[in-house]
Amino acid sequence: MPLESHIMGLFRDENSVVAAINALKESSFKFIRVNTPFPSHKIMNALKLKKSMVGWFTLCGGILGFIGGFALAVFTATRWDLIVGGKPIIAWVPFVIVGFEGTILLSVFGNVIGLLILTRLPSYRWFKYYDPRCSGEHFGVLAACKIEQKDGLKDFFQKQGAEVKVFE
Amino acid sequence: MTESDTKIMVIKKSATFWVFLVLVAIGVAAFIFGLNGRHPERAWQAYLINFLLWSAIAQGAVLFSAVMHITNARWSGPLSGLSESFAAFFPISYILFLVLFLGRAYIFPWLHEDLHGKEVWLNIPFLFTRDCIGLLILYILGFGYLFNAMQLKLDPNQPKSKLRQSIYDAWRRNNRQPDQIRRRMTIWGGLYILAFALVLCLIGFDLIMSMDPHWISTLFGAYNFVKAFYIGLGALIILAAIIRLRQGEASRLTASHFHDIGKLYFAFCLLWADFFYVQLLVIYYGNIPEETNYVIVRTMLAPWNRLAWTVFIVCFIAPFFILLRQGVKTKPVFMLIICSVVIVGIWLEHLLLLGPALSHEAPRAIPLNLSDGLISLGFLGLMAIAIGYFLKVFPEIILVKEKS
Repeated sequence: MPLESHIMGLFRDENSVVAAINALKESSFKFIRVNTPFPSHKIMNALKLKKSMVGWFTLCGGILGFIGGFALAVFTATRWDLIVGGKPIIAWVPFVIVGFEGTILLSVFGNVIGLLILTRLPSYRWFKYYDPRCSGEHFGVLAACKIEQKDGLKDFFQKQGAEVKVFE
Repeated sequence: MTESDTKIMVIKKSATFWVFLVLVAIGVAAFIFGLNGRHPERAWQAYLINFLLWSAIAQGAVLFSAVMHITNARWSGPLSGLSESFAAFFPISYILFLVLFLGRAYIFPWLHEDLHGKEVWLNIPFLFTRDCIGLLILYILGFGYLFNAMQLKLDPNQPKSKLRQSIYDAWRRNNRQPDQIRRRMTIWGGLYILAFALVLCLIGFDLIMSMDPHWISTLFGAYNFVKAFYIGLGALIILAAIIRLRQGEASRLTASHFHDIGKLYFAFCLLWADFFYVQLLVIYYGNIPEETNYVIVRTMLAPWNRLAWTVFIVCFIAPFFILLRQGVKTKPVFMLIICSVVIVGIWLEHLLLLGPALSHEAPRAIPLNLSDGLISLGFLGLMAIAIGYFLKVFPEIILVKEKS
């Protein structure tokens, strides 16, 4: 028998989701997450999330790529050190292109890897607490409570105007 | 925005009017003093740099409104109307160009040179004729766009001056529906964008690149108009920041407006550096003495190499790293400072492009002194008076939403 009971309130309206989130945070129930069919600034603001750290991953990737691009160009040029067109072996001006491309490539990788790490993806834990309607026309607010509070949480969502779904 | 707020703005404008008029007087005095001094060519050089810089700012800023309309952008809000106020500098810019004719002996070093066949293109009558026609077409298209764009914004009940009255009369005669006006805006705006690219190419070739008549870069024209849009956006941000700081919330300019235009500005900072680099790369690979000489003098030999690095740091490296941060882009004060510094940087860039060709004897130090600064202040005053006048006659251009 699980210690916690998970209940989802399914809303049709953005503003009632915001109201429900605010009320949940003040109640004794545990707020877990919101599933939305589209990105919403109102809901994002109501969640009061901390500033994402993804940017730092991107920056580190970019710096690594910048240095890596130049390093790659220098390395390959010195492997076959023929003077071509009177240019020095290590010709910095054209290497900027490789450096630039390296910056973009590793920034993108840094960004994606940062996203996966920070959101702890892939995660299968929450699959069972999902309703497919959240990809359609509903917003799903997921909350948890102790078994004995189950009816209280159901009432809470119903009062907020939601359709309740209980996960066993 | 109430009527009293509008009045406050007008009063503020007229208070600063005298300050800018004094700046213009100082600029004119410095220029005339320079002409009668030992080095009239230096005064003309400063004049040419400022003509190019301030005209490019006005042309680039008006381009913003046309681009926003053509791309159907909604994010720009009041910025779009605000950018149209720079068109007030067009007539001044045209007169300034005509004055340039008087200094032709000082600003065209190729006048008495053997041009090896290029004299077909590089001769004074043809150069001035084509540039006069080019600028005239550009400015007429700009005003044509503005004439239609403003019909959707102006409020017929505002106090009327003669200029406004004549514009209203023209509108009444035409009696067009909003849909028709928008279609006409698209046509005039599209032609303005096209003319902007072509005419700024021409100006870049004729008034900047031709100073070193044996040097060619095919991309120079494109570099010139990208630069014009870059500083045009910068000047627009400065104007928006000043209005935001003075009027606060009433200006309807929000942090997100500054954030969005800051992003566009950042993109054009990159594009400017890209066009600079692309030209450099081709010259570097070709390694032809006629082409490399221009770059070597400006970037590797003293005294110009220091100026070249200053320009590159001020116009690209510094804004690039500063504008990476979101917080900076949303703060009008920071953007005001950054954009001002970049515009000064582009002033120096013009000096870098023109200076070595116009300095007849190789200078030991960069030819830059107080009179250059004073002449530039005069041009700043002219620009500010032009914009101030425009906003005084059409105060609602930034206050009223487009009528749907």
